[in-house]
Amino acid sequence: MAPISSVEYLSNPLVTSNQLLDLKNSERDNGLSVRFAQAQLTSAAGILLRLPQEVIAQAIVLLQRFWVSSRPEDREGFSPKTFSAATIYLAAKLSATPVAPRSVVNVYAYLTSKASPLLFVNPQGAPTDPDPADYYVSEGTYERERQRLFVCESVVLVGIGFDTRVALPYSLALTYIQVLGVSSASLARRVFEHLNAGLLSPQLLHLTHQPHALAVAAIYVAARETGIKLVEQNWWEVFDVDREDLGFLVLAYGSLANFAEAEAKKWKGIALSLD
Amino acid sequence: MASNSKSKWAVDDEEEAAAVALRKKERDERRRLKEEKARQAAIATAATPSSPSNENERAAKRQKTSPEKENGASTSTSEEGAHLLHFPSRQFGPCGHVDQFELLNNIEEGSYGLVSRARTKGSGDIVALKRLKMEHTNDGFPVTGLREIQTLMACRHANVVKLLEVVMGTSLKDVYLVMEFLEHDLKTLLEDMAEPFLPSETKTLMLQIVSATEYLHSTWIMHRDLKTSNLLLNNRGEIRLADFGMARYTGNPRPKLTQLVVTLWYRAPELLLGAEEYGFEIDVWSLGCIFAELLTKEPVFQGKNEVDQLSKIFALLGTPTNETWPGFRSLPNAKALHPVLSGSTSPPSLSASKFPYITNAGLRLLSSLLSMNPTARPSASEILSHPYFKEDPRPKAKEMFPTFPSKAGQEKRRRRATPQAPERGDAPRLDEQEFAGIFAGRADEEQGAGFSLRLG
Repeated sequence: MAPISSVEYLSNPLVTSNQLLDLKNSERDNGLSVRFAQAQLTSAAGILLRLPQEVIAQAIVLLQRFWVSSRPEDREGFSPKTFSAATIYLAAKLSATPVAPRSVVNVYAYLTSKASPLLFVNPQGAPTDPDPADYYVSEGTYERERQRLFVCESVVLVGIGFDTRVALPYSLALTYIQVLGVSSASLARRVFEHLNAGLLSPQLLHLTHQPHALAVAAIYVAARETGIKLVEQNWWEVFDVDREDLGFLVLAYGSLANFAEAEAKKWKGIALSLD
Repeated sequence: MASNSKSKWAVDDEEEAAAVALRKKERDERRRLKEEKARQAAIATAATPSSPSNENERAAKRQKTSPEKENGASTSTSEEGAHLLHFPSRQFGPCGHVDQFELLNNIEEGSYGLVSRARTKGSGDIVALKRLKMEHTNDGFPVTGLREIQTLMACRHANVVKLLEVVMGTSLKDVYLVMEFLEHDLKTLLEDMAEPFLPSETKTLMLQIVSATEYLHSTWIMHRDLKTSNLLLNNRGEIRLADFGMARYTGNPRPKLTQLVVTLWYRAPELLLGAEEYGFEIDVWSLGCIFAELLTKEPVFQGKNEVDQLSKIFALLGTPTNETWPGFRSLPNAKALHPVLSGSTSPPSLSASKFPYITNAGLRLLSSLLSMNPTARPSASEILSHPYFKEDPRPKAKEMFPTFPSKAGQEKRRRRATPQAPERGDAPRLDEQEFAGIFAGRADEEQGAGFSLRLG
């Protein structure tokens, strides 16, 4: 067995069944939808803030950790939108590419305004000529929002017990593809698409499975979709993933598109507020 | 795939027996069980708290045997999953509250932050509570504190202080790190010692310090504040590296980092010269300073400011030249050095006169650690295999280490030469029996030797 320390470096703390049950019991009817929308909001904000995907992914995973480990009363003071802003701010701060609070406040004001391109904010789609006044953040509003952001950041940190390190599957996936001898741009792209989509999964995949399992499953699905033949043997075992985990994750990655469609249908023409 | 995954929820009592044979994999199974529970909870539409555990128990066992059905009882299938590496499963949860600890005394304030000794109310364990500095910043939760927690959490090494948990006070601004308590820090200890550590003891200490550093570097962590006051020592001769307030992850290629790191006396010349890109070598320089300090009991370069610090370094090691350190003149602050560089053409290299107690190998190690040119410094792992640690006197066994009264544990108080001013209250009544005790042991007392020979 490899030294624990080096393995730990590639692993994440996992969710317990009780935590998941608590989350399930405390969540209201559209809890899934709210979390899905929140993850999309975080992702969109990260893109507008020009953050690397790994920072965005870290933010989303931290957000998920917070959802399951905090008590409902901890979550009362702030809206899903503010939690999203706080985690992306926190993840960026810990990375090599920190962002200013002002940028975060601006971006979130834009993404939740009438000009937002996000469909759950503007079900009718963004106007073609948005009025900048809709998302302008005045100095006073900014001061207020910034303070809320900082307090919310602390709430998140306390909620997750300050465990901010997140191991991600991206680089593992690339290594595995090379090891399998099937490296190609199209396969790698599809793998990354699945890994990115997996962040939005309502099944909290990054909390239930280690990065190596996520990477292997994404490769499995992507190889099937792109028609790339992998070795016949149980190759996933080489990467320490058993059939059981692989099966579950393959289903999860495969079903995500259906879930997203169902969500889109459910909220067609209706705005979902994250404020 | 789909059918296989689906079938795991099926109930099959026969397989219960098979699980007994797999008891040695119990640990793996437990983990799997946990995951499956988690999964179950995530997918199940109407799961009650009691049902998932039952179903999962069966599912875990079911899963083991399914390959046998598919492929027959070949040898390879019977152990499917057995040879897989299973990851240590950690959990996460919200912070506890600081009131589960009972404050005993403050250990040190100042550069160290505010560290107190405390007792865990439940178990009675003694811990060190460090209150995070939450200076008012414009960036929310201080990033230094976040990095300190992040790096400490990631570290599991015998010579790195253990972060037990992070707890909260009543407000969000009160964040405490709960760490194992150690009796001493090297700085205070060196100040109070009449003589420096013996060569064998110095080696034991250095080996531990370097192996902690080597561990950090192997996990891409730069400590950036190695110094004797951040090295804790317990009464079993074990060193723990502490205070990760400056530590951070680095990478390759090197990120641009702030130069305002490392306590001045331990700061490497490239930092003093304003290099924006630096690496693990700055920790190695600090190791050199610590090594020298262990040998002489005195910090080796005690500069008053950055320029003074550099001139102190040059005075001992000579001024760098383009040959010994190519490119140093293009560092941002090198221009300001002109008077220093042109004025003194002092002879280079460490002399044995400054460090009388050290062997040639030791001196070679020290001068390599204190190489002006960062690329000439050895890596932490290279230091560990240096001949200095293999020659006589060999490193002293940790168990044989001397013990000292602990200042942090307030043991010092008993030895204090000047008594405290009397506190208000009733005057104490003297007990005759106490006086009787004073001269009682006199006769048994050993007439100690006038001097003792210090041997390695």
